[in-house]
Amino acid sequence: MRLLLSTALFVSLWMASPAVGQDPVADRAVAAAKEYVRAKGLKDPKLTILLSSLYNNSFPDFAKKWEELTGVKFEIVPLGYTDIPAKIMQESVSKTGVYDIFNDFPYTMPDAAGAKVIIPLDDFAKKYQPDFTGIADGLKYQQYYDGKLLVMVNDGDHLLFVLRKDLMENPLANAEYKAKHGKDLGCPDTVAEWAQQAAFFQTKEGETRWGMKFEKGLSGGLGYRSVNFSYRHFPLYMKGLLFDKDMKPRITTPDGVQAIKDFAAAIEYMPKDIQGWGTPQIYPYWGSGQAYSAVSFPSIFGFGESNPNSVVKGKQLACLIPGRMVDGKLVRRSPQAAGTGYMVSAYSKNPELAYLFIQWFTSPSIGDDAVAHPKGFWDPFRLSNLTHKGILDRFGADMVKTTIENTKYAASLLLIEGNYEYFKVLDNNLADVMNKNISAEEAAKRIEVSWNKITNEIGRDHQIQIWRKGVESGIYLDQF
Amino acid sequence: MVETSTSFSIPTPNANRRTVGGFARWLASERVFRLIPFLIVEGLFVLTILVPFALTIWISLLKWRANRPFETARFAGFENYEAVLTNDQFWLALVRTFYFAGVAVALELFIGFVLAMLVSRCTRSRQLYTTIFLVPMMIVPIVVGYNFSMIYIDSGPLNQILAPFMEGFGIDPRIRWLSHPIAAQWGIIIADIWQWTSLTFLIFLSGFAALPRQLVNAARVMGASPWQTFWRIELPLLKPAIVIAVIIRSMEALKLFDPVVLLTFGGPGTSTQTVAYFLWEQVWVFNKFSFGAAASIVLLIIFSILIFFAVYMLISQRRAVEGSVP
Repeated sequence: MRLLLSTALFVSLWMASPAVGQDPVADRAVAAAKEYVRAKGLKDPKLTILLSSLYNNSFPDFAKKWEELTGVKFEIVPLGYTDIPAKIMQESVSKTGVYDIFNDFPYTMPDAAGAKVIIPLDDFAKKYQPDFTGIADGLKYQQYYDGKLLVMVNDGDHLLFVLRKDLMENPLANAEYKAKHGKDLGCPDTVAEWAQQAAFFQTKEGETRWGMKFEKGLSGGLGYRSVNFSYRHFPLYMKGLLFDKDMKPRITTPDGVQAIKDFAAAIEYMPKDIQGWGTPQIYPYWGSGQAYSAVSFPSIFGFGESNPNSVVKGKQLACLIPGRMVDGKLVRRSPQAAGTGYMVSAYSKNPELAYLFIQWFTSPSIGDDAVAHPKGFWDPFRLSNLTHKGILDRFGADMVKTTIENTKYAASLLLIEGNYEYFKVLDNNLADVMNKNISAEEAAKRIEVSWNKITNEIGRDHQIQIWRKGVESGIYLDQF
Repeated sequence: MVETSTSFSIPTPNANRRTVGGFARWLASERVFRLIPFLIVEGLFVLTILVPFALTIWISLLKWRANRPFETARFAGFENYEAVLTNDQFWLALVRTFYFAGVAVALELFIGFVLAMLVSRCTRSRQLYTTIFLVPMMIVPIVVGYNFSMIYIDSGPLNQILAPFMEGFGIDPRIRWLSHPIAAQWGIIIADIWQWTSLTFLIFLSGFAALPRQLVNAARVMGASPWQTFWRIELPLLKPAIVIAVIIRSMEALKLFDPVVLLTFGGPGTSTQTVAYFLWEQVWVFNKFSFGAAASIVLLIIFSILIFFAVYMLISQRRAVEGSVP
């Protein structure tokens, strides 16, 4: 019954989408795919995708639609997203050609490109003209590596700040906060202001405040602090780039050390076990109403609105990401913490056909339908999302507006070869600081040494060249 | 220009017949049958062990990360070995692994031994207890990891059970089982003990079942106390079972990987990173195949020394038991 309902909902969303049949980008891809199959004389054409298992319940709908339109079938190989990078690198060695398309974060792209297991899509793009309009620079240029188009993204996973509107609008709470800090409660502009609000709302279990009894207590803030997640949030705290133009780490500068301190200090207002938490713990905790504010993937808002056990439905307020004051100016950075992209395997037997599917799937019309899919994990990221009924119904107009506004501040994580090793070094040392094993200064020194070692191992000249190109393209927003 | 002469001798038909005849005779001989199993074993050995092993050694001598094509790898001699031996994280992971294995195996041996002794003395429901105590070993590790991750949540059942005792001692009842460096280490050790005590229990139970009852009965008739019977008769006779349990569990515990990945991903920081996890991360996350291959060889050498001593202990025990049997 649930399957029937969700299918009906999806079909109705599909039909309601005004763009179906009116999107030249998607239409071009479909026509070219049909022509490709005909010209090559392909019997029973098929594409195989290595798919993040998060999309097991949503991607097949699009694969089916593609088959209806072009006659090209899909074989879907689902895998947990943590295992996909290794699988792609295995393919670079085994060269089996079993996959046509790889689905993963853009952060897998540098290593995959280095191993030459994915191919540049520029020639195909020149021929078939995809559409990247309405995508902010920080996300758009994340599709490129070393000046070449290698991945096409259909997902905004830039971090969103969300707070409890009901608590913020509580007159007693507001009066107390104003008396203490001389300012009304509201979306915090800076990380420091967020910390101030988080400290204010931190409440022990069983306490009664502002006419409300907090049976389970209230955490002032919520954010990712575990290994394999900390690095995704760290740029929020860092003023400027992680490296200078010669790839010398900036982590030991006063800005870097302060960022480590602020990142670690925030756990004071988070659940005690936060260093062991991932999304499966953070989302339900938020939904249970035990936190005042959170920095998370945008889908946390949807979870809060639609999860049957959520008590925060209608009580959430999406805000712009808090920023830092740099030379008297407010600078916001919303790290693109994940994001889902599609790459073409170098060993695909039909790379052009694989590209055509990607162009169709990431086109404004189909891409928007994907974001609207009730069982998908694609988040709003392009301007056309603002007028898509399905997306507005799913996420709420305010949240979509804020998230799209936030894309202006969406900045890529490190997009260079060996990035997962750089990330891990950062995570391990941040954990040591959070656990008070070492000081922020000591952590910064250790990170610097390890990062330099990785850079030298991979090849400093090569890394510098890629790093500079990335900075110049605008994916990190900050410049040298 | 046409070659008109050959530089090698062509065998004469007679010589050829002689060779064929000799080979046929050799094939027909009885010793061939003795060699056939040997050849199969050797063939399998070469295919399944020698080839991958040689490949690992070869890769360990190259400078290659998988984020570059294999064709671009260059010969680097012992550079990777030097990198491994000077890598602090490798040694820390190794020490941590020995710590986990030492604590976990010691407790598994103790608990398994006590349970086996109690069950072997049960007069009723022995099969039921045996079945119950063997269940953890039969559960898929990923299920165990998932269950423990739920149990360890700071507001989860374990902390709720412990809360009254902890509060009594004025200790914060919310232990951060998965995010505090020391608690997380114990979290992994406990999960390992829960699952693998079954194995030591099984080994000791079979050891107790194999005890010669006449010796125990004779001791009792001669007035030995239960403690004396246990200490002087049963425990010495159980030594081979103890040695086997120690060896099997130690070898397994040194490869500790599943609970680390499932519960902590080696964190917080590197506080629960075992050497197996370290290797996996270097190879499959950081793509450092050559470094990983060199680290594997270094580990193989270290573990081979341990295996040598383990096998020596096993053989010594067997000889001692055989020597004591009249």
